[in-house]
Amino acid sequence: MLDTLLFLVADGITNGAVYGLLALSLIVIYTVTRVVNIAQGEYVTLGALSFASALSGTFSVLSALVAAGLAAFALRDVAEQRLTGTMRMRIVLSRALWILIVLATAWLANLLPGSYWLAVLASLVATASLGTLIYRLTVEPVSDASPIVLLIVSVGVYMVLHGTAVVIWGAEPRSVPPAVDGGVGLGPVFVTYQSLWICASSLVAMIALYLFSERTLTGQALQATAVNRTGAQLCGIPVSIAGQLSFAIGAGFSALSGLLLAPLITANYDMGLPIGLKGFVAAALGGIVEYPTALVGVLLVGLTESFSAYQVSAYRDVVVYLMVIPILLWRNAVRPPETHGH
Amino acid sequence: MPDLRISGLNVGYGRATVIESLDLDVKPGELVTVLGANGAGKSTLLNGIMGLCPPRAGSVKLDGVDLAGLRPEQLVARGVVLVPERRELFGNLPVEVNLRLGGYRTGAPAQSLDRIYGLFPILAERRRQKAATLSGGEQQMLAVGRALMAEPRLLMLDEPSIGLAPLIVQEILRVIGQLKSEGLTIILVEQNARLALSVADRGYVLEVGRIVLEGSSAELSADPRLSQAYLGGAGDYAAARDQVYVD
Repeated sequence: MLDTLLFLVADGITNGAVYGLLALSLIVIYTVTRVVNIAQGEYVTLGALSFASALSGTFSVLSALVAAGLAAFALRDVAEQRLTGTMRMRIVLSRALWILIVLATAWLANLLPGSYWLAVLASLVATASLGTLIYRLTVEPVSDASPIVLLIVSVGVYMVLHGTAVVIWGAEPRSVPPAVDGGVGLGPVFVTYQSLWICASSLVAMIALYLFSERTLTGQALQATAVNRTGAQLCGIPVSIAGQLSFAIGAGFSALSGLLLAPLITANYDMGLPIGLKGFVAAALGGIVEYPTALVGVLLVGLTESFSAYQVSAYRDVVVYLMVIPILLWRNAVRPPETHGH
Repeated sequence: MPDLRISGLNVGYGRATVIESLDLDVKPGELVTVLGANGAGKSTLLNGIMGLCPPRAGSVKLDGVDLAGLRPEQLVARGVVLVPERRELFGNLPVEVNLRLGGYRTGAPAQSLDRIYGLFPILAERRRQKAATLSGGEQQMLAVGRALMAEPRLLMLDEPSIGLAPLIVQEILRVIGQLKSEGLTIILVEQNARLALSVADRGYVLEVGRIVLEGSSAELSADPRLSQAYLGGAGDYAAARDQVYVD
């Protein structure tokens, strides 16, 4: 009995670590751009599938698409009026370097199939860059719109990315080998190394995000944009760059969760949405703005999922999604929407 | 040294035009004040120059280069910096982070921070405190300090005296005077005409989006139309100041 309990707790924490990355992605994107990103789970899918491609030595189509998109926006930026020669030169060089990194990581992964780190790098670079493209393509043109419009836009993005994943990778699930095979007995419970790897990576990513936001001027600028957009603009912080950066972080974190999770559940075009929604349930506990509360939320969601999977396995998702109702009621009681400072 | 020439400026929100074909000049090193009652369009004028509310027509030329239609961060990059009426601080971030963010473009070097702490010693004492916990006067000092971190060539202040105790107003005015003596070009928007004219070289009077009067501070102070319309409020200020000294 105790063994089962501990096993479920370990499983729940692993789930929680994955949803934690999702919840942070949602919060970074929402606070900086006010987009409640329904499409968040698609970055999980794309991260996992492009990782699977790269690991098996196939050149990732996603990287090529992203490079083309970056090139298109670079052309638009260079064509903008009122730029001095040095500003134009700087844009050309920085974009060229960026495109080169996207292509080079994909090419190297292609050249050295089976290299875990290269595949991770190629997948993260491509997906994070895709995040910036999605921001510029779908959010920036309507950045003054109401949150409900931005939410509907993200539903559209979800549909396009979902379809894109099917077109590129097909409907067949791909099995992905874990970083390290096997596992270890922690007391009476056997935990796979992949589960430990998921928890450790998730923790490191969260600490890195924390240090970035607190210790660097760019991270503080991101926080500032979240707190007060007008104030940030008056400080000379470009809202567009802050938005792109938040989408890059959000997409990159979600892709990381996807490629970490893929060995446990196989990578397939349909994996993202449920993970994204569970991350959303957890983030909702903190109103999609509070990081610490969201971390409590991810543990709650992860544990609820593993226990309900054990008790009523057919309804595990239903139970988790139902949690959003008490969470929203609680949220409303603790901090009614009219007290929000927007 | 920057030279600002605004001509034929139109600014508005939605269907409403607030500023209509407005002309205004600021010479290098000058402190120019824009006076007017509530709703005259003073803040809209500054928001229009700053690109927060993009102008519909007209030009805003700084040293001959038209800035109309640029985004706020592009104006900051060209040395035009606004201290907004609502201050727009980052309430849950510490004072020092607020200041450092003001210097986002320049990388917030330590000597810039030291200079601000020299101008406003109280901010140095409060450096670790969250901006939202400061008093109104300290917040205004922080707003000015944050703007100076951007190393402006043209500083625009929107009603820095509003809602502040007279002693704090004196403190802010002292700093404005010091910045002017260092050669900074300044636009000071005020409702409190006597206060503004006491530090300004020249002034414009704005009424429902149009300039109705302009002249040197001495001329404006002596103008009966101005004293009738705007100096009434300043009497209250003097009374309030006396009150503080009595206390």
